[in-house]
Amino acid sequence: MAFDFIFTQSFFSTVLFQALALLPLLLYASLGEIVAEKSGVVNLGIEGMMLMAAFSSFTFDYVTKNPFAGVVGSLGVVAVMGLAFCFMTITLKVDQIVAGLGMYLFGLGLSGVLYAIFTSGAGVGASGVPTVPKLEIPLLAQIPSIGPVLFEQNLLVYLSLILVPATSYILSRTGLGLRVRAVGENPKAADTMGISVARVRYAATMTGAILAGVSGAYLAVGYTGSFQLGYTLGRGFIALSMVYLSNWNPYRAFVAVFVYDFVDSLQSAVVINTPALEASSYLLALLPYIFVLALIPIFGRKARAPKFLTIPYRKN
Amino acid sequence: MQGRRWLRVASYNGLAIALGLVIGLVVVAVGGGNVVVALSSFFISPISTTTNLGEVLVRFVALYTVGLGVGLALKAGLWNVGGEGQFVVGQIMAFVGVIYIGGVPASVHIFLILLLGAAGGLLWISVPTILRTKFAANEIVITLLFNIVATFVGLYALNGPIRGRTQSFGFPLTDLIPPSLALPLLIPGTRISIALFITLGVAVVMYLLVERTALGLRLSIVGESTETARYAGINVNRVFILVMLVAGTLAGLAGAMHATGVLGFLDPGELQPGFGYLAIIVALLGRKNMLGIGIASLLFGYVIIGAQDMAQLVPAQSGMVFAMEGAMLTGVSLASFLLARRGSP
Repeated sequence: MAFDFIFTQSFFSTVLFQALALLPLLLYASLGEIVAEKSGVVNLGIEGMMLMAAFSSFTFDYVTKNPFAGVVGSLGVVAVMGLAFCFMTITLKVDQIVAGLGMYLFGLGLSGVLYAIFTSGAGVGASGVPTVPKLEIPLLAQIPSIGPVLFEQNLLVYLSLILVPATSYILSRTGLGLRVRAVGENPKAADTMGISVARVRYAATMTGAILAGVSGAYLAVGYTGSFQLGYTLGRGFIALSMVYLSNWNPYRAFVAVFVYDFVDSLQSAVVINTPALEASSYLLALLPYIFVLALIPIFGRKARAPKFLTIPYRKN
Repeated sequence: MQGRRWLRVASYNGLAIALGLVIGLVVVAVGGGNVVVALSSFFISPISTTTNLGEVLVRFVALYTVGLGVGLALKAGLWNVGGEGQFVVGQIMAFVGVIYIGGVPASVHIFLILLLGAAGGLLWISVPTILRTKFAANEIVITLLFNIVATFVGLYALNGPIRGRTQSFGFPLTDLIPPSLALPLLIPGTRISIALFITLGVAVVMYLLVERTALGLRLSIVGESTETARYAGINVNRVFILVMLVAGTLAGLAGAMHATGVLGFLDPGELQPGFGYLAIIVALLGRKNMLGIGIASLLFGYVIIGAQDMAQLVPAQSGMVFAMEGAMLTGVSLASFLLARRGSP
């Protein structure tokens, strides 16, 4: 049997380790987008913001030789893009879809062309940059077989896991979360109660943009140590569909993202172990996307979006 | 008043292009290129030679064909952001037709190739349409996902079923199309083919249907408010299905015409042609009017050639063009803000 390797323990460990290592690529962006959409703003531009974050974290990392500086610097770049998006959609009240698509194409193109200019000018080779270190949790990492898989992950993996209950708690149990939900469900009532709709939407949308930036930065300086034009492969859009699949619930978003990543790492492990697949490997790469599309009819039916999603708020 | 309105629409088109141009010039400057050269190549090169003028028209054909469908869907309030993927699948299916259909006269073969391309686009929009109408899924996210899926399917096809005998620098590509199956050219020295007539024919039909019959009115009612439409006895889902399927078919047809009339072969670089996104810009700038979209498409045919020529000054040309497109869409946003402000009392 050519596929015997699937039933070995080392194969399973590899796949599980990879699935966990992939988590931050979608989890930060999905959680952030949940917060933004709860306030009534859909940001299609997160794909472009992830790409700009990935590019700028790579560049900052290359220059400073410090991956943490890469992450922090890239968040500054993303904050500027997020502010521009907020200004257009919340202050000027232009169509969120058009503004988001603009941000997407802008980020896609600018990151690609600036990277090409940077690498041709600086003589940067194909070799990567230093990445955010793995965090080995003492004792737990010593557990045979499962220990290294679960407890020798990247720092940003653990942080993303902590963020799941944190986001859920803030959104559903705090006054801050209540205000976010209020401006997304009934901005007029929120306004009457003295909540500044614009301010809350700015804060929520900026949170979404920054977290998308963390996902993008993780791709470049946490996971791979490199960058390319269109490097995120549409993960920003996948995050958007995860938000929809999760019915705007952080825990469900985590489950959806984890299963997606598991399917993704499973198919790439199979492809790596089976050179005979050749062209069909491109079809296997489609599995995670097909998984998302197949789940939409199942979970999408019950999904209920925030009532004022995509609708700008005008007094009177 | 009518003249005033046109002037206003024209100035917003100008704002969008200006924003794209500024971003392009900044990138050229960052890359150490000559800004004056960039500026002149943007404005002069599209009209400098017959060949380049032909290229403008070639882009016009692709943009207008996709844009008509995007505009039609927008009129009914739906976003077909998947024109890119439908276009790519149209290109691939056209080459499937070139390779796997045989035993028919060339003219029939060409017809079948275009039909297959259109069917590819139709297929590619059918799943998003079902998810939108039966499961109320967001068509924007789904059609965007299908763009990515189309790229993978394209890579599979280029490495498998439609792979040619040669490679270029390790990248797979198809064989050149046999001359008898390429769309007949109209003007020697250019790449303008009979696709121009097909597009203009489609445009006339679409214009008459949408702007001159009750169908267009029905679309607009659905686009304004689905509740009003239901109250008026319009079957909203049927309208949604109609406009989406037409949009996908047109984008697929555009892909097939581009692959067999303009390119003559496919490589991985053609799996991200950018027409699907530009079509959204021209549909918005043309104010969803079937004639307006044509004018905007001609304008953007010019802009694409200008931008591509300008992008020769930097590495990663496709990145430069995408960045300028993004800036132009942002310009469209800002223009809509100004338009809304002028319109309100």
